[in-house]
Amino acid sequence: MISAALSGLSSGGAYALVGVAVVLMYRLAGVMNIAVSVFGAFGAFSMVSAFDGGLGLWPSVVLGVCVGAATSGLMGLVMAWLFSDSDAITRSVATIAMAITFLSVAFRIFGDTPRSFPALFGDSALTVSGVVVKATNVFAIGLAVLLAGLLVLVLGRTRLGVRMVAMSNRPVSAELLGIPTRRYTVAVWLVGGAVATMAPILAAPTRQADFTSLSLLVVAGLAAALLGAFQSFGLTVVGGLGIGVLEAVAVRWDLVSSYRSTLPFLLILGVLMWSQRGEVWDESR
Amino acid sequence: MSLVSRLGLGSATLAGWALAAVMVAVVLWLSNFWTFVFSGGLAMAVIALSVGVVYGRTGMVSLCQFSFAAVGVWAMAWLNVNTSLPFLVLLGAAGLAAVPVGLIIGVLSLRLRGINLAVATLGFASATLVVLRRNSFPGTFSNQPIMRPRWFESENGYFLFCVLIFGGLVGLLALMARTRVGKGWLAVRQSERATAALGLSVTHVKLAAFSMGAFLAGIGGGLLAGQNGVVSNRSFEPFDSLLIFAVSVLAGARYVDGAIAAGLLGAVLPELFRKWGIPLDVAPMLFGVGTVAILSRGAEGAQGQLRTQWREFQAGKIQSSPQTVPGPRFAGQSANAGMGVNAADPLSTTSLCLDGVSVSYGAVRALNDVNLEITSGQVHGLVGPNGAGKSTLIDTITGFVQPTAGRIELDGIDLLGLPVHRRVQAGVRRTFQQGRTIEDMAVGEYLEFASGRRLGAEETESILSSFGCPEREQQISSVDVATRRLIEVAGCVISGAPIVLLDEPGAGLGENESRHLADRIREVPATYGCGVLLVEHDMEIIRGACDELTVLDFGEIIASGDPAVVLANEEVVAAYLGISPELAGESV
Repeated sequence: MISAALSGLSSGGAYALVGVAVVLMYRLAGVMNIAVSVFGAFGAFSMVSAFDGGLGLWPSVVLGVCVGAATSGLMGLVMAWLFSDSDAITRSVATIAMAITFLSVAFRIFGDTPRSFPALFGDSALTVSGVVVKATNVFAIGLAVLLAGLLVLVLGRTRLGVRMVAMSNRPVSAELLGIPTRRYTVAVWLVGGAVATMAPILAAPTRQADFTSLSLLVVAGLAAALLGAFQSFGLTVVGGLGIGVLEAVAVRWDLVSSYRSTLPFLLILGVLMWSQRGEVWDESR
Repeated sequence: MSLVSRLGLGSATLAGWALAAVMVAVVLWLSNFWTFVFSGGLAMAVIALSVGVVYGRTGMVSLCQFSFAAVGVWAMAWLNVNTSLPFLVLLGAAGLAAVPVGLIIGVLSLRLRGINLAVATLGFASATLVVLRRNSFPGTFSNQPIMRPRWFESENGYFLFCVLIFGGLVGLLALMARTRVGKGWLAVRQSERATAALGLSVTHVKLAAFSMGAFLAGIGGGLLAGQNGVVSNRSFEPFDSLLIFAVSVLAGARYVDGAIAAGLLGAVLPELFRKWGIPLDVAPMLFGVGTVAILSRGAEGAQGQLRTQWREFQAGKIQSSPQTVPGPRFAGQSANAGMGVNAADPLSTTSLCLDGVSVSYGAVRALNDVNLEITSGQVHGLVGPNGAGKSTLIDTITGFVQPTAGRIELDGIDLLGLPVHRRVQAGVRRTFQQGRTIEDMAVGEYLEFASGRRLGAEETESILSSFGCPEREQQISSVDVATRRLIEVAGCVISGAPIVLLDEPGAGLGENESRHLADRIREVPATYGCGVLLVEHDMEIIRGACDELTVLDFGEIIASGDPAVVLANEEVVAAYLGISPELAGESV
């Protein structure tokens, strides 16, 4: 049971990373980015293509992260250029359009057949009192926790972070104060894309790795982000890991095992309906 | 009135019908392959219509229309394997089978809005993906394809069948759009509170939108199944839902021509690309780019933007400057007293009684032990400094705020147990300080919607001119905010409700217009037989219109009675000037 739960941690780490990227972009760029894992999958497929082409494993990973970040940053540029005055819902609908564009670009370049991804740490594992702990899992959790912690520190403790929070809360005031809001928006998208690329790279070796499936990591990432109320990086990481463990445990339960990927959806529903239960009316008064 | 205009399609679209007929003829003349492709385009257009209902009209982002379609097709395929029902019945079953699923998502939409609803529906789409990938549609392996209807088996025949179904659905939608619930779709998109304040249940309106959306999506999926015969579980993936959503936003699928354009873009353009040797998947790339471009110019889609430009062009032909927005123009005459057909019987007096009403927001007391009686036949003014609790009082009477203590009764009926729209139906109407007319409607259309009955042209024009509102045909979106408030007042008054609560109807009016408005409001009780609660800052209007005046300060009534007496009260003056009564006595 415990080792089954632990095996879910690499997926969980991936969900947590997507969740962190989603929260980052929601808090600082005012957009719920449905396309974020499409950018991530784009980076991951670039990585595996480079790897298959003979590039070393880690150089390929770096290349993939760069491609993911660049794609996302490019779209961030479009967002900053065209949608700086729009509301969150219009921006989010625009990311749907971006997702479609990049999905079809990806089908064109990579095809929609599953690829086999290399495991980052091979089979290396250590045994702690009889329970096998894989290096990949340790890395996945470590990366998610590290990034979340880093973001909390940057946003809470540095001048740059404070300016970025100010920008997202009052974009117009921030711009009047001379904060380069558009440049910051692009930066947020770049970082978000890089973080989101690590997710499919970590998750792909242990699941069906076609482009669509990897793009849909966003659903689990959104569930994680919801658990953090689109605000808290820490709770998002915990949420992502929790979903991963839940899925892994569900494998052992025959009835739901083949449908375990629907768990994030059910979780989304539960959390949303609970958190919004008092919202009888819309915001427009 | 011809059937065409009865369906709300207008004479201008007759040309559109002719064009459609020509297009149908051209498609029939094309080779079988292209006719086949166009059938798929119409099926997609039906699904685009469903996006048009849920997002275009009602403003709810739903990213799972193809999941609805999949549910419908599943039912259809199951019936196809297990029964020998004809195609038309199977198609109907596909639509109806999707409705319960639509209702479930609709229930979610009662609390989830905007981004949250988008997340939930995308989650639903990916969950159906998981289920569909594990299972295949009934009949896929037993080689039992879905057979087309007997007389429409050929490509030309099936295309005509699709045209007929599409036409039928457009007619159904046009009929639906003329019902109160259908108009409520447009209202909900703008403000749920305003919708409820017009006496509609927001729950019904949203559930109707999702049921209709799911029904259309199910039929669209059924048409696709008939086009292909064999259904693949790869035809209903989240990508397709996202794609049809984007294309519908791009084309503006709220409108019939927009939906057709969306369908053709989604199904025919890729085939054209294939023919021209351009890779198929260039089409979705272009859709993505196009949608981003269109969205950055506003959310109405290409058809919506074309329509706005056309209206501005038309307006420009009539008046030299298209920017002219008619402000309030009081014609000076009062509404014809004889025409208040639906007005409450002046002999039976209705009264709204507030007894010890208190409202608290946490530790803050917004209203404290308020007693008030509003009876038909009089205008009761309510004044007080900002934050005194005037709007909270109206919110409490109409049900948007629950009081912590006290009773509110309308002729002995306890209002507190009723939801907002029931209170409205019981006879309490309100307007909003912010102005909550429905931008998507013309002035006359809004009045009729607000009144809840058919209005004669004379009746409409009489009340419009008496309240200084623009012409019936004027689009509300092109009217300034102050005038929109007056339109709202007119809609409220003409509804025949015995009690009418007006929240700052005179905000933003000039001095002359204020005086006119005061005269009109003074006449309202006699003409329409109702009682009015008038919240106003403009003392000109209060003096001119009120029979009785109550002053609120920090949630408590500090004076009540004859307006002239109350306004001379030292405590009232002090509350307004923000100084203590003793000082007020000296300074005044």
